[in-house]
Amino acid sequence: MKTKQVFYLSTFALALTFGSCKKNDPVPVVTPPAAAGYDNGVFIINQGMFTGGTGTVSFYSRSSSSVSNDIFMAKNNYPLGNIAQSMEIYNNTGYIVVNNAGKVETVDGSTFASKGAITGLTSPRYFLGINNTTGYVSQWGSTGGSIKVIDLNSKTVTATIPTGNGAEEMVKAGNFVYAACCGGFGNDSVVTVINSATNTVLTNINAGPNPQCIKVDANGKIWVLCIGQWDQTFTTLVKPGRLVRIDASTNTIDFSLPFSSTTSQPMSLVTNTAKTILYYTYNGKVYSQACASTSLSASAVINRNFYGLGIDPANDYLYGADAGNYTSSGKVLRYTASGAAVDSFAVGIIPGYFCFK
Amino acid sequence: MNLFKISICTYCFLRAFIGYSQQRDTIKQLPAIEVSSSRSEVFTSGNKTEKLDSALLNRYAAANLADLLANESQVFIKSYGLGSSAVTSFRGAGASHTAVLWNGFNIQNQMLGMLDISLVPVNFLNEVQLQYGGAGALWGSGAVGGTIQLNNSSQFNRGISVSSGVFYGSFLDRQQQVSLEISKKRFVSSLKLFNHDAKNDFAFINTAQYGSPEQKQSNAELKQYGLLQENYFRINTHQTLNTRFWYQYGDRNIPPSMTQNINTANQKDGCYRATTEWQRTGERLTLLARFAYFDEWLNYKDSTTREDSRSRTKTSIAEIESRFSISNFDLINIGINNTYSEALTADFVKNPSENRTALFASYKIHTPKRSWNAVLSARQEFIKNKEIPFTASAGFEGQLLKLFILKGNAAKHYRLPTFNDLYWAGAGAKGNPDLKPESGWSEELSLIHKYNFKKLDWLLGATGFNRNVDNWIIWLPDQYNIWSPANVLQVWSRGLEYKLNVNYTAEKFKIQLSGMYNYVLSTNEKSATANDESVGKILIYVPIQNAQGSLYISYKGTSIGYTQVYTGYRYTTSDNTQYLKPYTIGNINIAQLIKLRDYKIKASAQLNNIWQESYQVMQYRAMPLFNYQFGLTFYFNK
Repeated sequence: MKTKQVFYLSTFALALTFGSCKKNDPVPVVTPPAAAGYDNGVFIINQGMFTGGTGTVSFYSRSSSSVSNDIFMAKNNYPLGNIAQSMEIYNNTGYIVVNNAGKVETVDGSTFASKGAITGLTSPRYFLGINNTTGYVSQWGSTGGSIKVIDLNSKTVTATIPTGNGAEEMVKAGNFVYAACCGGFGNDSVVTVINSATNTVLTNINAGPNPQCIKVDANGKIWVLCIGQWDQTFTTLVKPGRLVRIDASTNTIDFSLPFSSTTSQPMSLVTNTAKTILYYTYNGKVYSQACASTSLSASAVINRNFYGLGIDPANDYLYGADAGNYTSSGKVLRYTASGAAVDSFAVGIIPGYFCFK
Repeated sequence: MNLFKISICTYCFLRAFIGYSQQRDTIKQLPAIEVSSSRSEVFTSGNKTEKLDSALLNRYAAANLADLLANESQVFIKSYGLGSSAVTSFRGAGASHTAVLWNGFNIQNQMLGMLDISLVPVNFLNEVQLQYGGAGALWGSGAVGGTIQLNNSSQFNRGISVSSGVFYGSFLDRQQQVSLEISKKRFVSSLKLFNHDAKNDFAFINTAQYGSPEQKQSNAELKQYGLLQENYFRINTHQTLNTRFWYQYGDRNIPPSMTQNINTANQKDGCYRATTEWQRTGERLTLLARFAYFDEWLNYKDSTTREDSRSRTKTSIAEIESRFSISNFDLINIGINNTYSEALTADFVKNPSENRTALFASYKIHTPKRSWNAVLSARQEFIKNKEIPFTASAGFEGQLLKLFILKGNAAKHYRLPTFNDLYWAGAGAKGNPDLKPESGWSEELSLIHKYNFKKLDWLLGATGFNRNVDNWIIWLPDQYNIWSPANVLQVWSRGLEYKLNVNYTAEKFKIQLSGMYNYVLSTNEKSATANDESVGKILIYVPIQNAQGSLYISYKGTSIGYTQVYTGYRYTTSDNTQYLKPYTIGNINIAQLIKLRDYKIKASAQLNNIWQESYQVMQYRAMPLFNYQFGLTFYFNK
């Protein structure tokens, strides 16, 4: 009789536990894809969880002010791949560079339907369209930095251009492509200049410690942000960051502006639409710098650090990416060009790059 | 000193409680203390434990510890794939919250704070004991979620035994095992060898790629070999001595995740583990002295990322323990442990070392018939210039109304930051030497209904637990975008665990039915980071529910077993917006033993994932569909 009671009691307890579990079953958090397509808005590239996760793309629609998350998966039914680094739109094709998956996924710029992947890349970083048939992909590579020349029609690699270590951002000025070489897993200091007509290296400009970001201004000057070099313990910058201007006509350095901090790296260099003002993050803030100025600006526009920065060519709004705790949905915060907060919205995990359309 | 005071108070309290005053005369009449080399066996009280005995281990002879625990225990195994690394999660805790003890020595890797249990061959073990709940007072740092005890033992006077097995399985999995043992009246010496290689190129549907193509797992080859040599000496009626030596080498490639396309990483690892243990059993006092020296290395190399990380850790452990009684109703344990570890690696600025000394004591009282007992334990570890929490635990267990066992335990636990947490330097990340240890309390209460009716054994148990961990360490980028660890979270875990075992044993016929069910909520209660989306959410890769059922039938030399494991939803993002679906895996084990005078031959077949479940334990890590392993083992004993 005692046994029976125990049995009933345990069955009851079991049933209670099982019963209470049902309501804990997770429900997928889904945002609908943009009804009007992806022609008027901002793509936010979310890197995704580093170990074993997948990058995603979110879309902010300017017309409806709504956000659609994971639009690649929603349209194509497979994930983008491990660590989405950047995205560019060229001839209405989106080129999404997926770093750890070693590929560039191509999509229709309006529908986001997959147009196939460019594979055979090693730690690719950024895409740059050269002409209707050719694109460049910078990559860290397995033996040093390089730029892979892509046939955009066949989506295959046709040539490899050696660069400094850890090729990152690229800009095109005239026929020349300038690639910042950030050292990859080590350190470097060069900007590699390539003749895009022949796919050959013209020269390597010694710009400063670990050049990562590179932009071209309204006057055709090349701006390079060197993020500095850490000591072995990652506590002190043995070589602090520098903002460097290169004269594209002579490929020489006009001037080099050193940052003072030995603990904070300048990062995320972007320009406004008119290409007259530079923005970057430094010391936990966002700074702006007129291209006409020849000294570093002292005042911050936004008193906050971001994992990624962007400027909307439609209204010069500043977009800041906040990666939160790096394992949950990140946030995008919007500001006017003068730094006044506009609004914010939730995006995918670890937002790091913006692509405006 | 804190510890001393508490021990004294505790002692006085207990003595008053049992109303006993010490008299010299009675001590002489005390019976010889029953000696077990395992402190856990004697001084664990109130914790839920599970014993995986040699008969069960024998069925998993060609498997690794991760496979064994995934199928036969309530511990969640985070496996990165077939042949890939695997770590444990006890009651919703992390991988570094498990203490793994090999014959009482902690073999957690000092740099990583965890042990890859896929590297432990089941064939090298005689018994695996799982102790759930915190046990910092017995084992020190790391015994937070639970403890895995890997035990070796032997018997004298068994003659000469030889066994040799060959195994062949799916995806070119080949394994050879040999074991030899000479067992005399006063001396046992045994040697076990194994060699294992596998291609692990299983086919799977890659749903993470365009068009969901069928792919073969790439870069998943592995090669391992190892030996375990043990000697046991009976010096005289009171003294025993043993030595053990474990060598193992592993070389395996690291397969890509489903979102990664290719991977070129390779990991080579090896270990030497040498231990010796001396035990003197007296009428009044038992003394134990143990020493261990571990030398482990791990080389991780990736031609793509040009990563070439080499590390080596050396650990020496010395421990002295005494056990004695001062009445007929108690048993006292007092011991000291010194553990010195150092790491040699280019990933740190200088080679770190740690010299940790621990004082520990336990006091056990029991009723005359030993139907009830209670244990109080305390431990204080010391490291120069570091503040380490004092740990203590109190537990009880006993018979209730003849049909029940009631037990409960409350324990303080803590975990020291790993060498990586403290000293890492490189690749955009740095350690934090100012980290505090994680610490907290865990409590549990179990009610077990135990019942024997003729040839039938029935056991139904329910356990409720609660655990808090403060200063939970996670890695995050700092304001300069350098990844570094910090004491950020406060984690609350609680749950219910059920267990049912029904055994029917006749002369030649045996049926074992078992079922387990867990319901665990492990949530992040507080965060030191502002606006942390993970607050109030469930930790990632902690299944809320899991269940396991198995049926094993044997008749004479024939046996068949079926195991089914259900793993529920696991979140993959800390704000709980993404998750992995539940999965159910069914495995069959068939064995036939043929006896021929001094020889025995066993033919076995292990059939895994018979329901062809396509599943992921970790996100985007492919797992094999149906796979098998056939084995032929030859035994000789004279």
